[in-house]
This record gives sequence, C-alpha cells and structure tokens, in this order.
Amino acid sequence: MKNTTTNTKEKKNVLKTIVTMFKWMGRYWPLLVLSFLILYIVSYVRTLIPLVGQHIIDVILEFSDGGSKLPPFLANFIIGNSKLTQLIYAGLLLLILALFRAVLIFIRRTTSGYFGETVAYKLRNTLYHKLQNADYNFHTHSETGDLIQRCTTDVEAYKRFISDRIIEVGRLILLMSLSIWQMSKLNVDLMWISLMVTPVILFSAVYYFRKVERQFTIIENNEAKMTTHVQENVSGSRVVKAFANEAYEVNKFDGLNREFTDSDFNLIKKMAIFWSVTDFICFIQFMLIAVFGIIYASKGTISLGTYTAFLAFAGNIIWPMRQLGRLVGDFSKATVAVKRLTKIIDNEDEYDDSEPNSTPKVNGIVEFKHVSFKFPDSNEDQLVDVDFLANKGDTIAIIGKTGSGKSTLMNLLVRLLDYQEGDILVDGTSIKDIEKHYLRANVGIILQEPFLFSKTVKENIGIADQDSSSERVESVAKIAQVHDDIVNFEQGYETLVGERGVTLSGGQKQRVAIARMLLKPKPILIFDDSLSAVDTETDIQIRRALNKEWKDSTVFIITHRITTAKEADKIIVLEDGRIKESGTHDELIKRKGLYSNIWNIQSKIDFHVEEDGE
Amino acid sequence: MNDFLHDEEEFTSRKLDWGLWRKILSFMKPLRKFVILAALCMIILAATDVVYPYISMFAIDDIIQPNVTSGVVDLSKLRVFIMLYIIFMIIQAITVYLFIIFAGKIQTELAFNIRQKAFLHLQELPFSYYDRTRVGWIMARMTSDSRNLSELLSWGFIDIVWGVFLMVILIIVMFVLNWALALVTIAVVPILTIVSIFFRKYILKAYRSIRKVNSKITGAYNEGITGAVTTKTLVLEESNAKGFDDLTFDMRTQSIRAAMIQGLYFPSMLFLITLGVALVYIVGGNFVVQAAISVGMLYLFTNYVWQFFEPVNNIAMIYANFQQAQASAERIMSLIETEADIKDSMEVVEKYGTLFDYKIENFDIIKGDIEFKDVTFKYNVGEQVLTNFNLKVKAGESIALVGHTGAGKTTIVNLICRFYEPTTGNILIDGVDYRKRSMGWLHSNLGYVLQDPHLFSGNVLENIRYGKLTATDEEVIEAAKAVEAHDFIMKFEEGYKTECGEGGSRLSVGQKQLVSFARAILADPKILVLDEATSSVDTETEQAIQVAINKLLEGRTSFIVAHRLSTIVHSNCILVLDAGKVVESGSHRELINKKGAYHKLYTNQYSEDMVGKSFK
Repeated sequence: MKNTTTNTKEKKNVLKTIVTMFKWMGRYWPLLVLSFLILYIVSYVRTLIPLVGQHIIDVILEFSDGGSKLPPFLANFIIGNSKLTQLIYAGLLLLILALFRAVLIFIRRTTSGYFGETVAYKLRNTLYHKLQNADYNFHTHSETGDLIQRCTTDVEAYKRFISDRIIEVGRLILLMSLSIWQMSKLNVDLMWISLMVTPVILFSAVYYFRKVERQFTIIENNEAKMTTHVQENVSGSRVVKAFANEAYEVNKFDGLNREFTDSDFNLIKKMAIFWSVTDFICFIQFMLIAVFGIIYASKGTISLGTYTAFLAFAGNIIWPMRQLGRLVGDFSKATVAVKRLTKIIDNEDEYDDSEPNSTPKVNGIVEFKHVSFKFPDSNEDQLVDVDFLANKGDTIAIIGKTGSGKSTLMNLLVRLLDYQEGDILVDGTSIKDIEKHYLRANVGIILQEPFLFSKTVKENIGIADQDSSSERVESVAKIAQVHDDIVNFEQGYETLVGERGVTLSGGQKQRVAIARMLLKPKPILIFDDSLSAVDTETDIQIRRALNKEWKDSTVFIITHRITTAKEADKIIVLEDGRIKESGTHDELIKRKGLYSNIWNIQSKIDFHVEEDGE
Repeated sequence: MNDFLHDEEEFTSRKLDWGLWRKILSFMKPLRKFVILAALCMIILAATDVVYPYISMFAIDDIIQPNVTSGVVDLSKLRVFIMLYIIFMIIQAITVYLFIIFAGKIQTELAFNIRQKAFLHLQELPFSYYDRTRVGWIMARMTSDSRNLSELLSWGFIDIVWGVFLMVILIIVMFVLNWALALVTIAVVPILTIVSIFFRKYILKAYRSIRKVNSKITGAYNEGITGAVTTKTLVLEESNAKGFDDLTFDMRTQSIRAAMIQGLYFPSMLFLITLGVALVYIVGGNFVVQAAISVGMLYLFTNYVWQFFEPVNNIAMIYANFQQAQASAERIMSLIETEADIKDSMEVVEKYGTLFDYKIENFDIIKGDIEFKDVTFKYNVGEQVLTNFNLKVKAGESIALVGHTGAGKTTIVNLICRFYEPTTGNILIDGVDYRKRSMGWLHSNLGYVLQDPHLFSGNVLENIRYGKLTATDEEVIEAAKAVEAHDFIMKFEEGYKTECGEGGSRLSVGQKQLVSFARAILADPKILVLDEATSSVDTETEQAIQVAINKLLEGRTSFIVAHRLSTIVHSNCILVLDAGKVVESGSHRELINKKGAYHKLYTNQYSEDMVGKSFK
C-alpha cells in the first residue's frame, strides 16, 4: 500500500526532474535535436553497409538472381563490364559511405560536445552565482565538501547524461529500429525470428543493473568505513602512537579492508554471472537467426547475400539491446545528481528584484530602534529591543560574553541577517531600503575569523580594488600594523597566502583582513572581535592609527578587552540579547553595574599583582 | 576536507618507468595463480572469437551453397552446425564467467595488498611524516590510486593478453587459409595501430589539461563557499564571478577540443577498417570469381578485418592508461617507501619487540623521572626551536609550560612523547636514554591527552577502552567514574553504547574532554602529557574538567601545555618559555613576584580570561 504511493510520487518526481534537465539546457536544446537528426542519418548509412555485401555476393558474384537490395541510386553506382570493375566500384561505394558516415559522426560528436560543455559551463556559472548570492544562513548551515561535491561531480553526471547518455540511448534505438526496418524489407518472417529473444535480453539487463545498485551501496558503505578508519588513524596518529595501539589499528584495518574487498568481489561475481548468462542468451538469438536463415537460404526463400546481411543486422540489434538495458539502469544516477543540484539552484538569492535600489549618501549616523531578532530555525529571541544611537565619528564598544548577541547585532547592520522587529537607520534611512551591495560597500565589517584568498598578500589586501597601487596597499598595511610582518616574509608582499602558500598566524590574518577593509573609505566600520588574536600592544597601535586617519568614520568594536572598551565614546554591555547598560566609561563606573564590576575585577587582578609584588 | 582540491599530477614523467612497474608487479606475486588462469581464459576466448565466424563459413559453404547449386534441400549437416554452435556458446559463456572471476580476484586482492602494505607502513612512520603530509593526500593513495592501479593491472592486463592472442591467432589462421588474402587483410592493421596510438596520446594530453582546469574550478568553488561571507562584506561578488567565468570558459574550450579529438578518432578508425573491408571484397571477390576461394571464405575474411578493430583500440588505450597510472604508482610507492626516521634500533627491537609485537616480559618497570640533557632540536625545515635545553623532573611532579605561540611548548611535548627525537642531546627516563628502550615501552607508560581531543567513531565504551584494550567493562566504567564522566554518559539514552560519531562529533567539547581523560586514566600511565586547548567551555564544564585534571595528575609525572589560568596555578612548577629557552621558572606566586615575563603574560592574557568569566 505504502509502496504504491511512494511509487507514484517517485514517478511524478522523475517527470519533474526530466523537465528540470531540459530547462537547464536553455536555448541550446536545438543542438540536441540536431544531434539526433545527424544520428538518424548515420544510423541509416550504417544499415546500408550489409546491403553492399549482399549486392557483392548476390549480384556481382552471381550467387542469386534476386537482385540488389540496395536503394536503386546506390545500386546503379556499381557498374562496369568486368566483375573486377564492379568489385572496385562496390569497394569505392563502401568507402564513400564510410567517409560520409565518418564526417557526420565527427560533426555529431562535436555538436554534442559543444552542447554538453556549453550547458555545463552555464550551469557551473549559475551555481557559483547562486552560492555567492545565497544568504548568510545558507552558508552557516551547509557543508563545504558537500556543496563542492554537488558543483563538480553532479554537474559532471548531468553533463554526461545530456551530451552522452541520452544520445547513446537515441543512437541505439535508432540503429535497432532502422535495422529492423531493413530486415522487414528483406524477409518479414526472419525479422520476427530475430526479435524472439531480444526482449529477454533487454529486460534482464534492466533488471540486473537495477538490482546490482544495492551491491554498489554496500560497497560504498564498506569503503566509507574503511576510509573513515584510515582518516581517523591518520588524523589521530598522536593518540594511536601515544597509547601504543599500532597493532590494534592494523588488525582493525585488515578486517575492514577485507570486508570492503570481499564486497567488491561479490559485485564482480554478480557481473560474471550477468555477462556470461546474457552472452549465452544473445548467442541463442544469433543461433536462431542462423538456423532459420540457413533453412530459408537453402530453400531459396532468401538469397545467400541476404542471409549474410541478416547476420549483420542481427548484430545491430542484439548487442545494443543489452547496452540499452544497462543505460536505462543508469538513468537513476543522473536524476539523483539533478535533484541534488536543484537544491542549490532553487535556493533563493539574498539579492532579488524586490530589493530596493536606493543609494543614499552615508555619513555615519547609526540608529538602532527597538531591534529584535531571532534565527529562522529558533524560537528564542537572539536580540531583544536593542535601542541606541551612534553619532558620526563615534567609537562604540560592545562587550558581553560569548553568545550574548554581539556578532548578531553587527551582522544585522550589514544585513547578513535581517531583523524581524524594530528598525536600523543609517543617516535616517532604514537599511532595508538601501541596496545591499551599496550598504556593504559603505559599512565595512571585519570578521573575527576572516577568510583570506589563495592569492598574494598584496592581492589580498588590494582585493576590493585590484588596480590599487603598491603605495596604497602598503599604507593600509601600516595602519593595520601588519606591514612589518609582511616585509619580514621571504617574498614580502608577493608571498602567497593560504593552502599552497605560507600559513599566517591568527593575528596576522586578522590584521591583513583589517588592512583589506581599509583600502576604500568606509563611513562605518565594524570590528567583530577582529583584534582577538592580536596582542594588547598591537591592538592599541591599530586603534591609535585608526583614530588618526579614520577619525570621521563611525567605528563599532566588539571586544573582550576592557581597556579597549574604556576608550570608546559609548560602551554597550550586552547580556542575553539585551542592552544591560550603556554609556561612557565614567558613567558606567558611577552606575556600579556589570561594567563597573568587570572593571573592578580587572583592577583587582592588577592590584593582586601589585600586592604580590610588594 | 579540502584536499581533493589539489591537483594530483605531482609526479609525472612521460616515459614508462619499468623499475617502478616491476615493484608494483611484485604485489601480484601472491596472485600468480589467478594471473595464469585469467591469461588462459583470455587465450581460449581469443580462439573462440576466431572460430565463431568459421562456423558461419561452414554454414555457407557446406550447407547453403551446395543446396542452392544442387536445388535439393538437404539439411542433414544443419545438426552439425547446431552442435558446433552450442559447443561454442557453452565454451564462450563459461570462459567469460571464469575470466571475470579471475580478473576480479586479481583486481580486488591486489588493491587489498596495496592498501594493507600502505596502512602497515603508515603505522611505522614517525609523527614528522604526519606533520608534513596532508590527510587527504594519504587518503587518495589508499582509495583512488590503489583502485586505479589494481583495475589497470587486472582488466588492462587481460585485455592485452586477449588482444595480442586474438591478433596472432587471426594472422596465423588467415595465412593458413589464404596467404594472399591474409596479406590484404592485415595491410591496414599497421596504419590502424599508428593512428590509434597517435590519437590516444592526444586524448590523454587533452584530458590532463582538463583535469588541471577542473581542479582549479574546484578550488574556486571552495573559496567561493568558505569565503562567501567575506565576499559579501567586501562586495566582491562581481569580480569573483568574473574570475570564475575565466576558469569555466577555459574548461569549456578545452573540453570541446577534447570532444573533437575524440570525435575524430573513432571515425578515422572506422574509415580505415572499411578500407580493409573494401580491399578484401575487391581482391577476395576476384578470387571468388576465379574460383580460388569459396564465398564463405570471403565472408570469413571480411569478418576478420573487423576483428582487428577492438584489440588495436584496446592496446592503444591501455598503453595510454599505463602512462596515466604511472603517477598513481609513483605516489603509492613514495608512501610505502618513505623511510621512518624515528624507529627503534635493531638491538632495541631484539630486546623489546616491534611496534606490532611487544616483548612485554622484557619491559622495565618505570618510575617516572625525566631529564632533558643539553637537548637541541630543529624541525626538518625551519629554525632551531630548542637550544641546549636542560630540565630535570622528578617522578610525580607536575610541570606547566607557558609562553607565546612558537616558544617551544609543543616541541617539548613532542620530544617527551618521542614523536620527534632530539637533534642533539639526550632525554633520560629514570636515568636511561629513552632511545635505549622501545617506542612500545615508552608509549605503554605514557598518557597523552589533548583537550581538543581526538575520539574515534565507535561508542563511548570503545573510545575509553582505547586507553587499555584489555580492560573489562567494569574497568572502563571505573575510569569514567574517576574523572566524573560517568554521570553524563549515563544520561545518554544508550549510556556507554552511545555512538560518538566521526571524530566524536556527537559529543560536546567538554564531554569529549572528559571521555579522553577517562581513556588516559584507564591507561594508567606513569607519565602524562596534557595539551590544553584554547577553546573555551562553560563554567560548569570547566569546573568538572578541573576536578578531572587534578585526579588525572595524581601520582604521575606530568607536563601540561597550559592555557587556562586555573591549571597553571595548580602545578608544582611553571616553566615560562621564550624562543626555546626557559626564561623563568617557579611557582605562580614566585613568578608573579618576579614581575618578569610571566607577570606580563599573566596580566595581558589571563586577566582577560577573568573578565570573560565575570559575565554570569
């Protein structure tokens, strides 16, 4: 009962998947049609070749007086007084047909190649575009490896399907039908005999390749178990060695290796049975054709040449039939790939047409008006009724423990996340009315764990404006206090960063990220705990340099350092998503609240130290 | 994770390296029986392939032809034909079955052998190897490379045997039947071979460059995804997309070119074969006219021309595949042949046994004194990390190592664990150089706890038992209780049978730490190394961990790479390291009073720790 409902549902899905497949082809679908048209001609020409053999045997070598089965215009090509001339003409005809076919095959393959690659090219770009435009939430909730897998392997599977598999199926079907048609013109009885066993071949192939899918899953699971073991062994090699468990590890691996190997061999056993059994069935069909053909030819019902042509046509049906069954079994793989890709393609962009495109001048007055926010997949409010004002040129420090909502608050300001209640105004305009790219170009946020691209240090700093001069890059690197570090690298600013290049320390990464953000002027600048890995002194130097050169910008600093907070124009203490207290250092000290507590603890530490020192 | 981004063409030479292949082939020695049987099957198969059209010739010349000319239908010989056909079918089916089984056996067992050997060797390799080798690199050797090689050496091998024998038998049979027509038939074969090899080379080259672009595209996707938020904050969408388009467009151009080369290859082969067929028809047809051969023979020869197509094509392809697989072979051998630069000497192995087979009876009782004597250390690349380092630790003492990143804390730990050995100088345990005893001995007496702990997939019980494989369930539970892990474990629905997930992903950081403590306490080592993580946990867990750590340190010589104030304050002695030297040492109080490096570190770093905690 349950099965049938899922079945119909599956069928519906398959149909949807096929529609999707065609949709992705865009305006290139005519190329697919063209490919099939060429295939039709190619297959037709191929079915003429056995007839040339028939002509040679029956007409030229005079084994029958039934005449040529070739179309008249081709039969008339083979002329000549002597047998030898006729033979030469027949050979020439074969060559002309082969050449014609070869040229068409080349055109067809080029067309399919062009078609598949162009569609894949568009698809890859679309996917990249989609990934870049997917919102913050999407990126924090998905696994990089899985996404890459989809964008590479699944695209490849889809491409192979539309430029290779579909065409192969078409080719086989065309070849079989045209061969059957040619057979029917030669002898209908023998044609039916040729088709007696073929359905069995098709169905056994479809059945087998469907069935064997399960074995593939078993193998994949076993391989995954084995590779997981290797992975864990290698990444935990310290633990393995420290506990002296090498022998245990080897034993365990041998077991898993054996299991994987055996399941792999199990599949091969099944293949052995399939190929030998279907070979046997195919040859039964061949034998039937041969035996009846011999009888017919002996009786003179068909000519000797027709008999040889029949044998050739049979080959055009029987082997393709098995292949076709295999391809049909393969079809599910492509649909799985398409479904996985759809998940990315159908994901909504964070930028869409409904977005406003206004680009008002940004001076730097930021106003949070009773802002509340919760994550879409959560019931708890992350931020509640946050309300404060930052004037142009102010420095606002935000402190609070991990999870209190500091980063979320700043992510709202650049619209990585969108608040549900209240409003955030920049120079009086709601940020929801400002074009997103424009907003982000004006509000610079430096993340705590910044991502550097695998380019040189110089390119990384200059990434927002690739034409920026070396002087410009160096000057911002100096503000970010990373210039000296860079100069000390062997290749200086040309040092390659990332997996293939040098590994920067956390503090260096953060400072490169700061420099990168300073490349272009920003009326509003956010440090999302982006000085956490920098030592206290450097922290101070960076802030001094900023105060000098960026005094007009409004700066938000999320920090754990109370000394950093102290110097701000306004300090906001967040607790559980609410503003616990806010004001200048002096105001907050007077209030004797949380901030003054922290300040006291801090001083007490110093005091302790002092006291101990006495 | 991201290791599959690196292109795998690290080793490539164009010429086939026979020495290398000989080494790889030595893995097949235990499979010799299957190799011979598979080859035998392929020879039989090649023979049946030659015989098959012969049966048709028999039908034409001995049944149809006489009947047509005589006008009397005599089908008595049809029985012979059917019998021949059935015999052929049975032989064919059986041989196909057997050759797949044998080749499959070779393929799977060869892969098994390669993986087994590689894994065994991995266990012998020192830690420095893991330090400089990406996990993904090793994984690729164990999976795709071993698969590529074993597939090629099994199926590729039998294809070659089949192809060579088929061609040899064909040529012999044709020459026996009619040497003149045989000459005509094989005339196209040399051209066919040359064209085939030519194309295969180009196709291989085309695919190599496609793979290169492809790995760049994968890399770009990776950057696009992991850097997505950064991209947004810097508004780089457009310039990224343009850079990406350059890559995909290149990919498209190269792929179309490859498709065209392939599109040219097959038709060229087809045309050449047809040329052969045409020649056979002309010359053979003329022979039939002259009654020099029968029409069945003509039919036979036209069939034989076609039969050259597959073996020539296969052999050219396998030749190209061998060139390609050579890179796989080189990489696998480079893994298997990497010399372990830290290993026990022959004498030590003799006395204490190998890594996989200890001689427990010879293991000395350990007390736990540790001494660094003039230890200098330098990693293979880079500067000297330790210089003339001296340190004496009495059994049972607890040493906290503090200092900035790169000060040498981890190096000291690595040296104690003998993950690395001193470049010069000695490390003495109970007064004896630890190189005089086996690695197995040291590690049986050593506990190593990472606070960013590495757990294995498997349940909690198995993970704790990893500390002492022979431990009973009761002992495991005892250990868990000792570090106060028992309570949270029992709160799980499945208790100790709870799966930890890959790398322990289903447990929280704090839980993982407690499990790894239980694992260490079960091992009951004399020396304990604790590498604290910088990651923070909530106050409650922090307290539980503190209790567990104190429990763990009891009665053991311990080294702690410390990040947490509470841990440091509790240790007997704090060593403040800077640039590989001990700049200060003493108790917390002593060092604070000194107002030197520790004081500065303390006020800068650990006071922040306090501030962070004062919220709630």
